[in-house]
Amino acid sequence: MGVVGLVLLGAWALAGAMADALPGPGATLAELAAMAGDGRALSIGWRVAAFMGGCFAAAAAAGVALGLVLGAHPALDRGASPYLAALQAMPTSMWVPVAAIVLGTSPWSLAAVVSVGAMPAIMLATRTAVKNVPPLLLRAGRTFGARGWGLMRQVTLPAALPGIVTGLELGWSIAFRCLVAGEIFSGALSGTGIGDVIFRSRESGDLTEMMATILIVLAFTMTVDRLVFARAQHRLRSSRGLVDAGLPH
Amino acid sequence: MSASVVLEDVAQAFSGPGGGTRLALDGVSLEVAAGEFACVVGPSGCGKSTLLDLVAGHTRPLRGSVAVGGAPVAGPGADRVMVFQEPALFPWLSVADNVGFGLKQTGVSAGERAAAVSHWLARVGLAEAAALHPHQLSGGMRQRAALARAFAMRPQVLLMDEPFSALDAPARDRLHVDLQDLWAEAGTTVVFVTHNVREAVALGDRVVVLASGPGRVIGEVEVGLRRPRVVESTTVVGLAQEVRRLLDAADQLGIGTPRVGRDGHVVI
Repeated sequence: MGVVGLVLLGAWALAGAMADALPGPGATLAELAAMAGDGRALSIGWRVAAFMGGCFAAAAAAGVALGLVLGAHPALDRGASPYLAALQAMPTSMWVPVAAIVLGTSPWSLAAVVSVGAMPAIMLATRTAVKNVPPLLLRAGRTFGARGWGLMRQVTLPAALPGIVTGLELGWSIAFRCLVAGEIFSGALSGTGIGDVIFRSRESGDLTEMMATILIVLAFTMTVDRLVFARAQHRLRSSRGLVDAGLPH
Repeated sequence: MSASVVLEDVAQAFSGPGGGTRLALDGVSLEVAAGEFACVVGPSGCGKSTLLDLVAGHTRPLRGSVAVGGAPVAGPGADRVMVFQEPALFPWLSVADNVGFGLKQTGVSAGERAAAVSHWLARVGLAEAAALHPHQLSGGMRQRAALARAFAMRPQVLLMDEPFSALDAPARDRLHVDLQDLWAEAGTTVVFVTHNVREAVALGDRVVVLASGPGRVIGEVEVGLRRPRVVESTTVVGLAQEVRRLLDAADQLGIGTPRVGRDGHVVI
């Protein structure tokens, strides 16, 4: 991870030296230090975390619940899937102007777009994961007395969990795209401060603050990936015997 | 802790290719006494697994009746537990949690459950493996855990669908002996389905022979041999030949006379 990071930093330095408008790592890191010093970096990181945490929690809860319903009811799934697939393929940022006009330019309007935008991917992944649960496990669950909600909670859900986590990862990245699209559209829609930075960079033509902000967001997404998704995937895989630990002897 | 199983003139059909139906079982009548160990043997595709599904309540018969303990089967119930060809353990649960799964469903308290789990794990020789996950066990150990999970339920009827056919021979031989011990202790009724004639003779009080296309009972052989029995013993092999002759008479084997383009294969 460290070596790849250095290579990327080198590539960035090279690109910065060749393109005048692109601030190199040195200038960006200096700006980042300044932003850290006066609290702007922490403020952006904190507000992004709060906004995304709230939106993603809502999207995940609704997406997984609706996905489980779809997975359990084939007729409903046949009816709804084409529309969900279309929604998933459509860039969700297209809703941003619609929401801005219908719901007004408030953080709530962008929050609605981000949550609803991330949902179809989570729903479809959950639905597919539920349908891919081996029938033998469901039969085993039934033969040992699990029915209805108990069967869902104790057999279907854990058996589908690896697929659901993959859907959550996908939903998370879609949500982030949607957030930034909203910020580009109308300055300070989410209240995370990214929009302000974009606005200032556009006015001044100086990208240093923009690059520093990109680094903050990058650090945030990397932290979430390492601490949440990568860990969850590893735990799921190792408890199910999907990590090859080599021969036992 | 056992109940009789009675099937009367049962027929069951499946939708075949092209929209038509295919009879899996036709006119099957079978009586298994409470506490009896009955083996059902026949070629693949003779409806053995369907027969177990009917008793388990996973499907309903097209015709005829299925009764357990005198009451008609209306659906799945904790009094009838199925053991599958594959162990079908839940990969996300530890071995102990797998064994306790059924007891949890029936509302047994955590304390009683822990006691039952450790008793049955010890009975199948897996006391050390309680905290492991299924993927950390060998094939034979997994099937032992599946047996412990089934016996822990103290079912009236245990339905076994070729449970040892995917195991290596030494593991299978040991499980044959262990299963007879477990059955003697639990006193439950067992309906054990297999395509292996010697296995059927080694385990059963009685061997019911099915023929395929559609599945029907073509004979029964009482096994009066002393337990525990092993598949290699000459008395078991001798009786297995008698069962084999029944299948031969119905042209269900085709080992001596290879038949091109037809199914039906029984191991002796």
